[in-house]
Amino acid sequence: MALYRLSFRLRQTVAYVRPLHTSGCGQQQGALAVESETRQEPFSIFRTLENDPACQSEKHVGQYYTLPSAHIHTLFPHGLPQRYQLQVKTFNEACVMVRQPALEVISCLKKADYSKPAPRFLFYGVKGSGKTMSLCHTVHFCSTQGWLVLHIPDAHLWVKNCKELLPSSYNASRFDQPLQASNWLRNFRVTNEHFLSKIKTRQRYVWTKREFTEEGRPLGELVDQGISRVKSSSDVVGAVMKELRLQSGQPEAGFRMAVAVDGINALWGKSTIKKEDKSPVSPEELTLVYNLKKMMKNDWCGGAVITALSQTGSLYTPSSAHLPQELLGEEGFDSMDPFVPVSVSNYSEKEFESCYLYYLDRHWLQHPQTRTEEGKKELIFLSNRNPSTLERLCAFL
Amino acid sequence: MAASIIGLLKPWTPRVVLVRWNRYNPYYLEPEIRKEVYNIPETELTAEEKEQRELKALRPIKAATNGMTSSVFSDPVLSKFVNMMMKGGDKVLAKSIMTQTMENIKRKQVEKYHKAPEEKREEIECNPYAIFHQALDNCKPVIGLASIQKGGKFYQVPIPLTDNRRRFLAMKWIITECRENKHRRTHLYEKLSQELLAASVKEGNVIKKKHELHKMAEANRAYAHYRWW
Repeated sequence: MALYRLSFRLRQTVAYVRPLHTSGCGQQQGALAVESETRQEPFSIFRTLENDPACQSEKHVGQYYTLPSAHIHTLFPHGLPQRYQLQVKTFNEACVMVRQPALEVISCLKKADYSKPAPRFLFYGVKGSGKTMSLCHTVHFCSTQGWLVLHIPDAHLWVKNCKELLPSSYNASRFDQPLQASNWLRNFRVTNEHFLSKIKTRQRYVWTKREFTEEGRPLGELVDQGISRVKSSSDVVGAVMKELRLQSGQPEAGFRMAVAVDGINALWGKSTIKKEDKSPVSPEELTLVYNLKKMMKNDWCGGAVITALSQTGSLYTPSSAHLPQELLGEEGFDSMDPFVPVSVSNYSEKEFESCYLYYLDRHWLQHPQTRTEEGKKELIFLSNRNPSTLERLCAFL
Repeated sequence: MAASIIGLLKPWTPRVVLVRWNRYNPYYLEPEIRKEVYNIPETELTAEEKEQRELKALRPIKAATNGMTSSVFSDPVLSKFVNMMMKGGDKVLAKSIMTQTMENIKRKQVEKYHKAPEEKREEIECNPYAIFHQALDNCKPVIGLASIQKGGKFYQVPIPLTDNRRRFLAMKWIITECRENKHRRTHLYEKLSQELLAASVKEGNVIKKKHELHKMAEANRAYAHYRWW
């Protein structure tokens, strides 16, 4: 595990404690190692039969594992990148490559002490290097471990293109976004069905003169309230986040929470939303962003915060910016500090080979010249082994 | 070479202008783009090729156009189609529409392939380039009509077509059909992919148009002797 990479302050909080989830796999791994090698032989060199992220290790780096097709809609109703969703539809299967950055974060999560404040991870890298896919891989690990997943697919969607902006009923200086909030609540309900009846509210919430949620009601009721009454959905989102933050750390709660946010730099950037008098709205004045920032602080325990930067959807940032300092800005970096930065780079040679063989296997590389050495060298040259460029290149070849 | 228009330049005229003509002195030689030609060792060249090489070292060479690439994936027929689709000199847009069309065709075919049972899989053609060439071949008319004047009246006379003319007509029909006869709100790459997939199995409006041309030529067989070349 790359402990030397953790910033100094964090090293004191994440102490080495008994491994929680590797114990099951570790004992079996030795016995199964021989069997799995022989089982993988007839399959292929770029696929692995190890579909459980908890049992994947360094020897699976570069290999593709399959996400179960029946559960994709529940696991990732809104989390996967657009091009990847098209690929899943075309190939009739969802295969994700096991890569080093995701494995690092998963191993940190396996060994972390959950009575200490939540560790924060940040995936950063050049455009198209695989940050969102690494985030989805980690989220899959968290779901298979039975954690509650709070997945915000793209924080940039909350600070731009807002069709309806209401002044917040709770706090006069803030603004509500009913459409985005109700959309997110619907997807949250799909992902975490089984937690909605188990978690109970700790406080009485009053929405309007006649609507309120009593103490001790299941979380599902709160979420339904937000979806049906769209006007108060942003406040419901805030209430849901507060409840989960309070309860995840308690030993009797029995669940862990993973907060996964993509495009985290949106929270501290600028927004293109304007008030009626054409003055710009800063992200702090939006209820959704304000509540999400409270989640990002490491004052709660019993879970982890996994984030990824994104320059593609960001506003007023140069396209060459990809480092955390540049994209988060001073304010963002100071609020996220201390965090574990994880660099996601372009494909290595082995990973490129694996991707190339996968596309050949799925009959995606159709041009006769792509099967030759010359064509392969040209693909490497044109894409520079960048995952998204390679994908777009192979799409029409 | 180009006429000097420096004297006519006003302050607002851009100093670098595009030229529409491309007239080189016949002294200039054509550029050689293909990589394989330069990899042949000295011994395997014939006498003429050695002479040609020495000439190239002395004579000036024309500039290669932007459309020529030494890439292994380049296809002259496809480049011609992209040029015909281009409007206002925007090759970037035309090329991107072409690549999106290829991707669209491939996606539809590969999806069909993966969902089909084992026996049907061999019949499904997934290569968009093969589909494109097949569709183009299916759309090429065998015989054309020319308007010839005889005795004050104009007759539609069936004439043989050269290979270039046939390819041009096929491409022109595909592009005009996609631009005009489809639903307004669909993207051009979507319209093109539908038309190309239909043409590769000999269905669709372009094939119908080709058949109508053949029927007209067959109907006007009597006037064939009006052709004097």
